[in-house]
Amino acid sequence: MIMDTIIEVKGLKKYFKTPSGICHAVDGVDLSIERGKTVGIVGESGCGKSTLGRTMIHLTESTEGSIVFNGEDITRVGKAKLKELREKMQIIFQDPFSSLNPRMTAYETIEEPLRISKRFGKKEIAERTVALMRLVGIDKRIENSYPHELDGGRRQRIVIARALALKPELVICDEPVSALDVSIQAQILNLLQDLQENMKLTYVFITHDMSVVRYLSQYICVMYLGQVVEHCPTERLFENPLHPYTKALLSAIPVPDIHMPRKRVVLKGEVTSPINPKPGCRFFARCPHAAEACRRNQGLVEAEKDHFVMCSRLKEIG
Amino acid sequence: MEKETKQILLKINDLAVQYTSGDSVVSAVNGVSFELEKGETLGLVGETGAGKTTIAKTILRILPDPPAKIRSGQVIYNGTDLLEMSEKEVRKIRGKKISMIFQDPMTALNPMFPVGKQITEAIKIHEPLTTAQAKERAVQMLELVGIPGERYGEYPHQFSGGMKQRVVIALAIACNPELLIADEPTTALDVTIQAQVLEMMTQLKEKLSTSMILITHDLGIVAEMCDRVAIIYAGEIVEMGNREHIFDEPVHPYTKGLFEALPSVNMKAKRLKPIEGLTPDPANLPKGCKFHPRCPYATPQCADRIPELKEITKGHWTRCSASRKEGV
Repeated sequence: MIMDTIIEVKGLKKYFKTPSGICHAVDGVDLSIERGKTVGIVGESGCGKSTLGRTMIHLTESTEGSIVFNGEDITRVGKAKLKELREKMQIIFQDPFSSLNPRMTAYETIEEPLRISKRFGKKEIAERTVALMRLVGIDKRIENSYPHELDGGRRQRIVIARALALKPELVICDEPVSALDVSIQAQILNLLQDLQENMKLTYVFITHDMSVVRYLSQYICVMYLGQVVEHCPTERLFENPLHPYTKALLSAIPVPDIHMPRKRVVLKGEVTSPINPKPGCRFFARCPHAAEACRRNQGLVEAEKDHFVMCSRLKEIG
Repeated sequence: MEKETKQILLKINDLAVQYTSGDSVVSAVNGVSFELEKGETLGLVGETGAGKTTIAKTILRILPDPPAKIRSGQVIYNGTDLLEMSEKEVRKIRGKKISMIFQDPMTALNPMFPVGKQITEAIKIHEPLTTAQAKERAVQMLELVGIPGERYGEYPHQFSGGMKQRVVIALAIACNPELLIADEPTTALDVTIQAQVLEMMTQLKEKLSTSMILITHDLGIVAEMCDRVAIIYAGEIVEMGNREHIFDEPVHPYTKGLFEALPSVNMKAKRLKPIEGLTPDPANLPKGCKFHPRCPYATPQCADRIPELKEITKGHWTRCSASRKEGV
């Protein structure tokens, strides 16, 4: 079976210089995404998931590694070509309160990318803008409203419409529903799902919410301090999590069911700093199974078919 | 007959709070009544703007007036109405008998003072202790929430988010309050840290037998922590009951809708069932039942009459004319 890969990331690193040392925000990530699928990237704040998303589409320049999008390494292409490729890669941010220009109406916001692309005439721009608004379920009545007049759900719809204006192939969704209330969150998740089907979109879905990724994604990468520590098809992760961090993460989620028996793994301590990390497993300080072997650098191992884990003590842990 | 042994610590009667700005009047809380027993944890659940935090601030008498105005109601704490008390009297209760954990630990602490000193200050205001004794107590409090006493002299920015929230909790329980109001205490934290903090709060509650009002939008946390639950929508309690009532037999369409809209971490859903429409604008609330424009079971009469909060089985209350029939 030949996989139709839309984007392939190899050895991707993004380091930031800080006054106290080098921050290893993304530290050697390999990732390959099949067209039309959704890959969930989960992890806690500061694990580098947003940096990975931004670096993947070259919004921030990578420190090392290659990013092949539709057959082209976007870390090597020139500015003009990159601009062309950018149309195919879009990003939706978490907070629709700060990602919209407060001085532009809903209509202007959605229309702008169409205008900038210089590919359409006036009439076509107007038609497409109206079509986009219908596509994401924005009522024509609010086309002249400014962001501050709208609630979070509607704002996020505008952000989505704008991201889809130039028919992208890959959309990075960076916590798109985290700022929304439960009842609205479900509306936006369903919308994203419908849009994916209609427009054959590929999503990279960045979130800290495990129930949201379970709902949307076919494949999951769990990140911890800049590294992917486990990746596999979504259902397998929930049925058989292998990495000690994944196990703790899953067990920590409060479940809205009073009859669920819970075996919680409460981790000691806090996430260690990504600045000048020590060699060896990044999870060492908090891991209930840490041993001497964990002080060596770890690599991803295929523990079972299509299920990769970065832990050298898998056998011992059982 | 059931023996009445319950002791009511707090009783709120028909509380209504409005915010005014210019010409617009926002009705944030519209006739809320509930009771809290000693030692009990009550969850207040609702979405943004439902009025949860306003209720909490009213109990503590820290509503900013203006713009907020209490239109009616009583907050009876141990037999006296907090709303009738003078500011001087309230100060003896606030921070001592009733204290609050705020959502955002970054803004709840003073960045200019060491964390230990902030706790010592709170203790000295309320307890007849010397500075040295108060300091000793502050160190004990830090250790109780899992922070080594040596960190007494450190400033808030030297702590991580989870540790800061522990400091806030230590501050809130420093004077052994009878009632703790926790407003989204773990929303700003990561799940693994949230698990630590929730576990710590449960232990503390058992140890100190504090009563608690837990404000949250997360039904998972409610399932874990609360004895009773009140679901709030547009400033009204729409359903209230013990945990079995709410989780096993929810009757109000909004409560049911909330459960159905949640993606589950235990099961892969084909499609979510969102609650249609938007949360109502509190400056322009719908007539009749406030949920009727979004309710799949709404009948024409729902738009006319505000349904009353009725008890359908013992201890299980709902504000819906449809479920009232079911209850008969």
